[in-house]
Amino acid sequence: MTTATAPARPASARRGHLPRPPSFLRLVRIELRRSPMPLILPLIAALFWFDSYRPSTSQAPLYPLVTFWNMGQGHTIIDVGPFAAGMAAWIGARDGRRGTADLVTATPRPRWVAQLATWGATALWAVLAYLVFAGVMFAWYAHRGVQGEPPWWWVAVGATAVLAFTAAGFTAGVLFPNRFVAPLAAFGGFLLMMMSSQTGFRDRSGWALLLPTNSNGNFQVDSGILYPYLPDLPIARMMFLAGIAVAVLGLAGLPAAAGGRRVRMAAAAVIVVGLTATGTAVGLARTARLSSHGMVIPALHDAASGKLIAYTPVCAGSGFRVCLNPAYRRYLTDTVGALAPVAHEVAGLPGAPVRAVQAPAIYDDNDGQGGQPMTISGDPPVLSVPYGAFSFLPGPAGFSTAPVSRTVYDQNTRLLFAQAFVGAGDTLGTPAQQAVRAALLQAAGVPFAQQPGLVSGALQPSAPSPGPGRATGPVYAAAARFAALPPATRHAWLVTNLAALRAGQVTLDRLP
Amino acid sequence: MTTTATHPSPARPAALRPVTAVMRLMWLYLLSRRVPAAAGLLAGLGCLLWVALHEHWSIAGGAAARLVIPLIVESGAAAIVAVSSHGPFGEPERATGRWLPWLRLGAALTLAAVAFAVLSAGATGGYLPGGGPALLRNLGGMIGIGLLSATVLGGSFGWTGPMAYLLITEGALAGGWATPWIWPGRPPGDLGGALCACAVFAAGLATLTLLGARNPDRHTPG
Amino acid sequence: MNVELTGLVRRFGRTQAVAGVSLRVGPGVFGLLGPNGAGKTSLLRMMATVLPPSSGRMELLGRDPREHPQRREIRRRLGYLPQNLGYYPGFTVTEFVEYFALLKDMPPGQVPRAVAAAVERVGLAGKRKSRLKTLSGGMLRRVGIAQAIVNDPELLLLDEPTAGLDPEQRVAFRTMLRDIGERATVVVSTHLVEDIGAACTEVALMNQGGIVFHGTPAQLTARGEGSGAAGDAPLERGYSAVLAEARA
Repeated sequence: MTTATAPARPASARRGHLPRPPSFLRLVRIELRRSPMPLILPLIAALFWFDSYRPSTSQAPLYPLVTFWNMGQGHTIIDVGPFAAGMAAWIGARDGRRGTADLVTATPRPRWVAQLATWGATALWAVLAYLVFAGVMFAWYAHRGVQGEPPWWWVAVGATAVLAFTAAGFTAGVLFPNRFVAPLAAFGGFLLMMMSSQTGFRDRSGWALLLPTNSNGNFQVDSGILYPYLPDLPIARMMFLAGIAVAVLGLAGLPAAAGGRRVRMAAAAVIVVGLTATGTAVGLARTARLSSHGMVIPALHDAASGKLIAYTPVCAGSGFRVCLNPAYRRYLTDTVGALAPVAHEVAGLPGAPVRAVQAPAIYDDNDGQGGQPMTISGDPPVLSVPYGAFSFLPGPAGFSTAPVSRTVYDQNTRLLFAQAFVGAGDTLGTPAQQAVRAALLQAAGVPFAQQPGLVSGALQPSAPSPGPGRATGPVYAAAARFAALPPATRHAWLVTNLAALRAGQVTLDRLP
Repeated sequence: MTTTATHPSPARPAALRPVTAVMRLMWLYLLSRRVPAAAGLLAGLGCLLWVALHEHWSIAGGAAARLVIPLIVESGAAAIVAVSSHGPFGEPERATGRWLPWLRLGAALTLAAVAFAVLSAGATGGYLPGGGPALLRNLGGMIGIGLLSATVLGGSFGWTGPMAYLLITEGALAGGWATPWIWPGRPPGDLGGALCACAVFAAGLATLTLLGARNPDRHTPG
Repeated sequence: MNVELTGLVRRFGRTQAVAGVSLRVGPGVFGLLGPNGAGKTSLLRMMATVLPPSSGRMELLGRDPREHPQRREIRRRLGYLPQNLGYYPGFTVTEFVEYFALLKDMPPGQVPRAVAAAVERVGLAGKRKSRLKTLSGGMLRRVGIAQAIVNDPELLLLDEPTAGLDPEQRVAFRTMLRDIGERATVVVSTHLVEDIGAACTEVALMNQGGIVFHGTPAQLTARGEGSGAAGDAPLERGYSAVLAEARA
């Protein structure tokens, strides 16, 4: 030690009560440099790759599909959040572990404020890591040529969730500075996420929509492709999660050791603010309703966000032209081949479409499953194909875990086209409609024997399939007779009776 | 200390018998590792498992998904066992005689037994996928992972191994993996899964016994 | 007077750690002696405003620490080194001292210079970028002293500050104390009577929570002359003599 004279005493103390940003930021800077959070990041990165990225590689290269597991069902949050909570708890317990409580208490800056600096650095590392991992994943998706817009709103929700996890873990560590708080925070957070998933499967409305791993109403296949991701639900979720984060951080300021009376009152006010935000989000979620493009919360909704995304379609087909959104370009040739036989069969008939265009899929409670009908409308008639509602895109696709063969794709596509043509929509249709549809499909290359299973799977997913070789009964008998007619005869009958058939006024015995 | 003390000397304590001394040593060791508190937390997890099974908490998604909630409880118990290996004394304790490895082994086995007992009790009357054999296998394997993590990373971070394994298992179950190294996904009577879990448990126990939990704050004077 | 204590009491359950201490201390170096469990650390913690008294009155630097705004002002002008110094192993020497300088609300512009000066003053300039977990016990103690003096305190409380310091460092430390004591009040709690004799202008001896002697080191020495009390140095004999009287 030396006897050098001390520096000049600092200017007389200021009388403000709030932390001054420069000092506070410098505290955060020290904490950032020395935070142990980076030590856990390599492990989280590996798990992120395993659990969030790897399962997405089997999906069709459309952003809503590749990100449904990791963003839509919150697996990115599950991969990062519990670890962040555990580490934050360990960091929050630092003063208790290190015996520095007295040292920190004996300073004018309230202990709560010092803790907020520590938490801030912890949260910055955790959120930054999440954003980097998600960013790398999306960069790789872009490199792979995944089509559509990334679900950036859901990245923001994930970042807010990670923030909430660090806040909850940190506060737990502050309040219970013992060796068990870190694992309890981590596993407790994981359990909460799993319960959140379960609640999401069970409850499709109300406050349950705010749970971070609830996939209902997040986005469907056409989100970010034909229409934008609606920000209503993400905003409400961020409000909910941020409110939780703020409220639990306020909890850390309540103990007597956190500071004087004013500090504790400020902490109580912070808790109120946080709970207000959370409660507001719950109230907003209760007003949510499913619209054709996603979940709408009236108080947050901007009508402009529901407009269709303009695009220049890609088209193919010489006789019957098919036009799709460029994101679906890879399916264009297959779609032309699938639709052409039915188009050929109905060409020239009243209401026969002259071309096909892609239409936006409509949100439904079944997350797009169960099929949505193709429709024919306009003058000249155009076949509208809601591609996003199909779970049978060829190749690894949709919600199926196994690749879909070209045959399955062709058969399902032709079925839906025929359904639209006979006016049956997404119902089984009248017996006469069923018979005409069956005959059309037979002519288009879908044998009768395969039709019962196909119809059951597409239009009655919950009914047991009759299996192949059971194309019996009066409907198929009539269909066989109809299909056996010369094409000109069949054509003439349809010209005369198509309107009545579509209106459901034709009975089975009127079929030739 | 002075030589002019006026207080009378305290009565000399009675000498400890060897068996009593060993038991006393073991008890003090368990106290230093917060084993009683850990046992209390494990009992809490047993209660949580009871509630989860009786309230039919389950993730939708089939048989594999039904494993997830019990697995969270089991891996949480493994994490508590792992974290309990952290010692507060550091080098002075390591510089002692022959008892320390036996104490480590005894404490780990004690807590593992307590964990199995309370979770078994928690599963009473409810449907635990795989029953007792699966519980023993899953818990033992994950405790092994936790002890290995404690040896490498430090007792305070022993929970990270079971947490990572839980995440990997959750993903593997969703993907239908059948490797015996993801033993929770194997049938309860499956030999491969049991062997893998036993091997990991034995490895964790052996490394902890011989090396002890790493002390990341080990003083390294420059 | 920078420190005015009147009938200060602190109880922990049924144990009375500090039993009605009254003291008035001005600028200078004030030593606090006493056997283990005498209440020195509890008294120091109360003066550091981290432990509230059970009863009695305390005025530090002309302010009442029971009032929050005044307590903040006290803490801005306070330096405290506890007996068991906790630290963050991953921090460097500079970061640790800077951390506490910022917590003490020092003007940000003055912090770097003050930190460098404090680290230099305790002889750790060459270790300023070393992580705390790489330092020896004595060096850690000096880091603790550095964080206590970084804000040039008006009231400096040191509990066993020379534990782990080698003789040369202890000599330098006492010189530093005398230097600081010219402008501020320094209260040093120690078992080492030679620290008291070399640096302190006043000394109090505590026993079983109370003050049994208050005077100068010379007066304490005089109490031991001719008493037959144990001790290898005059001050030690005075210490032993006063304790013996108190216990008798």
